[in-house]
Amino acid sequence: MPTKMIEIKNLQKKFKDTIVLKDISEHVDKGQVICVIGPSGAGKSTFLRCLNALEKPSSGQVLFEGQELIGLNDKKLDQLREKMGMVFQGFNLFPNMTVLKNITIAPVKVKGIDEATAQKTALSLLDKVGLADKATQYPDQLSGGQKQRVAIARALAMNPEVMLFDEPTSALDPEMVDEVLKVMRDLAKSGMTMVVVTHEMGFAHEVADQIWFMADGYIQETGTPEEFFSHPTSPRAQDFLKKILK
Amino acid sequence: MKGFKHLLMLIIIAFPILCTPISALAAEESSSSSTSASSTSQIASDDSLQKIKQKGTLVVGLSADYPPYEFTTKQNGKTKYVGFEVSLAQQFAKDLGVKLVIKNMNFDSLLVALETGKIDAIISGMNVTNERKKSVDFSNTYYSGDSYFLINKSDKDKLVNAKSFNGKTVGAQNGTLQSSLISKEMPQANGKGLAKLSSLVIGLQSHKYDGILMDAATAKAYAANNSNLYAFNSKLPNTAGGIAMAFPKGDTSLVNAANQTIKKVNDENLINKKWIPQASQYMKSYKKQNTVLSYWRYFAKGIEYTLIITVVSVFFGFILGTLFALMRLSNNKLLHSIAVCYIEFLRGTPMMVQIMFVYFGIGAIIQSLPALLAGIIAVSLNSGAYVAEIIRSGIQSIPLGQTEAARSLGMSKNETFHYVIMPQALKNIWPALGNELITLLKDSSLVSVIGVTELMYQTQLVQSATYKGVLPLFITMIIYFILTFTLSRILLYFEGRMKHAH
Repeated sequence: MPTKMIEIKNLQKKFKDTIVLKDISEHVDKGQVICVIGPSGAGKSTFLRCLNALEKPSSGQVLFEGQELIGLNDKKLDQLREKMGMVFQGFNLFPNMTVLKNITIAPVKVKGIDEATAQKTALSLLDKVGLADKATQYPDQLSGGQKQRVAIARALAMNPEVMLFDEPTSALDPEMVDEVLKVMRDLAKSGMTMVVVTHEMGFAHEVADQIWFMADGYIQETGTPEEFFSHPTSPRAQDFLKKILK
Repeated sequence: MKGFKHLLMLIIIAFPILCTPISALAAEESSSSSTSASSTSQIASDDSLQKIKQKGTLVVGLSADYPPYEFTTKQNGKTKYVGFEVSLAQQFAKDLGVKLVIKNMNFDSLLVALETGKIDAIISGMNVTNERKKSVDFSNTYYSGDSYFLINKSDKDKLVNAKSFNGKTVGAQNGTLQSSLISKEMPQANGKGLAKLSSLVIGLQSHKYDGILMDAATAKAYAANNSNLYAFNSKLPNTAGGIAMAFPKGDTSLVNAANQTIKKVNDENLINKKWIPQASQYMKSYKKQNTVLSYWRYFAKGIEYTLIITVVSVFFGFILGTLFALMRLSNNKLLHSIAVCYIEFLRGTPMMVQIMFVYFGIGAIIQSLPALLAGIIAVSLNSGAYVAEIIRSGIQSIPLGQTEAARSLGMSKNETFHYVIMPQALKNIWPALGNELITLLKDSSLVSVIGVTELMYQTQLVQSATYKGVLPLFITMIIYFILTFTLSRILLYFEGRMKHAH
């Protein structure tokens, strides 16, 4: 029996009059790689951001390792967020810090790890994403693909138990997509629990344990990549696949 | 987060304190208007004399630009107050067996200072009038003089009496008997007032005024010291009952003590026989070596205080500004409203009014509030409002993604602000902050109105001591420019360093 890492119960999210997420109940097991796909405007990003409470759900529950996230005080929430790394579409590196500092700041300031140890970890992470030579540079000296790899290293430096990816390759030039996907692929292989919102069908097909297909504020269907890509059951999914595989 | 909350609490607590002077002032007013209430307190609580003796000092307020009554001279580079009223004040303090402390301020601030307890008595050529009797108690008179016109000697043939000023501009010091004489007795003349007599005399010399109405002794002293000036008796009706010391209402025992001193002085005719000749001596002796540059120590002291006010106010202004910027950006409606009110109010009222309000208003509650501290408080509060808006714009210029990235790494709101948002915001707002800093340095000159010895105030002292108007101003202008220019170079250096680090 696999342990449930994240459990979502009857999640709903409204922005004023628009209901973005209608009623979502799902769970992520430890070690699983979930790819969330679907047409734009389906609420995928909002859903992902509800998982670490960057967005506050309007109703329903999000449990992380059995711990309810909604209504937690700031301090407890900060502690839980340490365990949930997040990678953004726009990288969101800190432009005023070097690559190395970007990675060490949270371990040093939040976890209280000493600077030297944090730097050592950061350098080995940079090595892992293939950017060991960029440690002393500033973000605006890097290409998009390099920035995103630094962002992944930054999230990993907190030693998270789950990684959330919000369309990590959507803002990249096509020739840079692969270098980022490679890092993510390696990460999945290492056993990291991952929830990835993506438009990279090839990646989803290859790496995901499960595909969650979202449209109109619902998860329309879930399944293994084989099931989903060859026999989609819901009409919305069939329609979506027909369009993108044209 | 916790530390931040505490700071906010402090502000919330401090806010009503800032507002209390209004109610305190209102209460004071109502008590003085009901005469029955004040007369009972006269008998019940007149320990004024005892209080002076207990604290061991007599604080006398005067406007030290009124030779030979009171004026400044320098001795070993230090300001010294001299004049026959200063001698009288010394005599009075000696009779009481206490130390004399002199507070020099604008004549029209003296009554407020007395009412708010900043000073114990006014000995500053103050004529006894019925109007003034409503707000202060007078001693017996010790001197009375006619009102004289001071004019340029070149106009000696044209201006011979009060009527010859019809259609001309006549000046008088604000709040003096002479300024009301002009409006009452010389309706055809164009009356203009200024706070400083020395500024009026400078105006006369540059022909902004055709004549200045002042008391006889002062007019004669000016004429004697400047061969281009001429004084003559205005022959205007002297409605005043002579010159006396003024005390807060109800300080009967202190008034009685003053009357004893005055009786002795009058009996021995000390003023005319001894003190006025002494004062003239002072005026002559420093006239010889009286160049503007010989007052460099005045300017040095002024620079010192200007820098103190600027540095301390910048520090607290920045802290206040950060706090109010965060409050304004807060989701908490109450904090947001407080910040908006604070910023709008402080930006919407003149700094000079704020300075005077802090000194006289808050000073009414905290009697011992020194002028320097009051000035710094007012300037800091004012600067805080501007800095708050600058910082708010800086914080809002940082993309939301920066906050989200930091929070997703487990950083708290405080840590995010401290390590991620503020350093970036600071870089964006640096030029605007620099502007504010330079403005603050220049605006600190406004603190001169409450008698803080910063550069502008010192300049006025030099003006009245040297009888020269433009040169001290020019020197001060150059000094301010050197200060601000140095400052802007320093700021530019740091701006460059921040860019370089990028």
